[in-house]
Amino acid sequence: MIEHSNLIDKSRLKFSKEKILATSLILPSLILVFVTYLYPAIFTFVISFAEYDIIRLNIKKFVQFKNFHYLINNSFFNSAVLRTVYFGLVICLFTTIFSFLIAILLNEKFVGKALLRVMIVLPWAVPSVVSGVLWGQMFHADTGFLNALLYQSGLISEYKIWLADPLIALHIIAVAEIWKAIPFMTLFFLSGLQSLPSESFEAASVDGANVFQRFFYILFPLMFPIVIPLFLIQFVLAMKSFDTIFVLTRGGPGGGTTTLNYFIYQEAFETFNLGRASAAAYVLLIITLAVVLIPSISKKILNFFWGNK
Amino acid sequence: MKNRLVLKKIFTYFFAFIVFLIMFFPLYGLILTSIQPENIIRSRNLSFFPTNIIFTHFVEVLKPNHISNIYEGIKNSLIVSSLTAFLCLILGFPASYSLSRLNMPAKNLILGALISVYFLPTILFVIPLFVILVSYQLDDTILSLVVPYTAFTLPFIIWILKTFIDKLPIEVEEAAKIDGCSVFQLLSFIIFPLLRPGLIAAFIFAFILAWVEFLTPLIFTNNLKISTVALGLFRSTIDIKIGQQAAAAIMTLIPVAILMIFFQQYITKVVFSGSNK
Repeated sequence: MIEHSNLIDKSRLKFSKEKILATSLILPSLILVFVTYLYPAIFTFVISFAEYDIIRLNIKKFVQFKNFHYLINNSFFNSAVLRTVYFGLVICLFTTIFSFLIAILLNEKFVGKALLRVMIVLPWAVPSVVSGVLWGQMFHADTGFLNALLYQSGLISEYKIWLADPLIALHIIAVAEIWKAIPFMTLFFLSGLQSLPSESFEAASVDGANVFQRFFYILFPLMFPIVIPLFLIQFVLAMKSFDTIFVLTRGGPGGGTTTLNYFIYQEAFETFNLGRASAAAYVLLIITLAVVLIPSISKKILNFFWGNK
Repeated sequence: MKNRLVLKKIFTYFFAFIVFLIMFFPLYGLILTSIQPENIIRSRNLSFFPTNIIFTHFVEVLKPNHISNIYEGIKNSLIVSSLTAFLCLILGFPASYSLSRLNMPAKNLILGALISVYFLPTILFVIPLFVILVSYQLDDTILSLVVPYTAFTLPFIIWILKTFIDKLPIEVEEAAKIDGCSVFQLLSFIIFPLLRPGLIAAFIFAFILAWVEFLTPLIFTNNLKISTVALGLFRSTIDIKIGQQAAAAIMTLIPVAILMIFFQQYITKVVFSGSNK
């Protein structure tokens, strides 16, 4: 009996020893990440209810919900919020569609596939400043390729200043973001495609299903579980985008490309109103969380009404 | 049936060509701009093939007193990115082993919490970090870039390394443990060599992510005592010389593009090992 309990103690001791070891291996990383994230998150939360003195670096006074009130009543902020959601939707919708098609292409066998794969993955490593410069030159009013191409083929009679139109400028930024976002999503789709069972396609092919039937009735439902998380992650990333906007338009013309993230930057580092910027950052955080939580909430609602598990 | 196969082949090659054109043309345009004289770039008879190749834009850009200061920027970015990547591996390797193999409470919660920081807007953290850095007079230093970069990249690196460790055969470790191997010996003599592809992939990811970072150096090095390559390039966009701007952009791109092309298989391995469980 005594020996037995001794044995348990020993194994428990070994067990807790492993716990200590495991914790000590991961602790440095956790401390670094959470200090860098958690402290600022709390700090931002606190000063979103205050006026912050940027010169003395201290809180001037607490103003309760004044910053949030200001934002909600500010039409510029509200349109920036709507613009951010629209911008995010455009980017993730087109990125998903293009990536899906390219992944299907890369799943086929053809000569030069390795080269094409390198070319498709490359834009991911392109620094966003470079892609800003690149697309800026592409759409440049005097020297851009687009103007030259359209002019020489007779589609436009004079050079257009593309970035001067707020709506066109917003979509040019979206193009730049989509170009950079395609590589990663394509890779994830490709790895998803390659893990699909090939039997179901062969069976359908034997049964006489055509390409479109196979796409919509077999491929799409099978890929759906992969599409949804990638779509959402891309949506979140698109709403966070800053660099391309900063390089291409600086939020202009007339605030037409100011997304929420850029609005926060302007409040914080151009007008130096840290309180207001922090409040806006929390609004962005809430929108982001809402987006991330949509699938699990809608799944719960669906389960509640239809009860299928 | 044979007709259909031929049709499919034609369609595949056509589609592949279109995709290649769309993905590559923007980069080609940049290259074209960087090697042509300014007057040709600005002329309206634009040709899509270079007629007069020159390299003066690159020579100008690399001069030490050029506005973009790209030479200095490349040097700083190399230091900062390598330091970040090394730090990420040193911290991330034991952490990911612990998450993958050791008995620890709330494992999934920790991994989830680490990954979920990516959903939060970066600007949320940049504002207070800037305030801290300024109050300790640490802004405009290499340290002010390396530490935040490492913190931003580390969760991703831990996730990458964990998926690689998950795939290693556990028998080797068990045998080593029975032979009386300590955890330190296990990590450095057994796991480390086996994990080489994962470590290379993680290093490249961390390096590239640090290289392309823009918002952090833009704010943390506001007095421009040190400049990263992305910042230098951004400053050159104020200059009107389009050719030099393109040359600076290519100088910024080349190091990471080379990494990407030569180590592409490692990058794709990350995605494929992460999802095929």
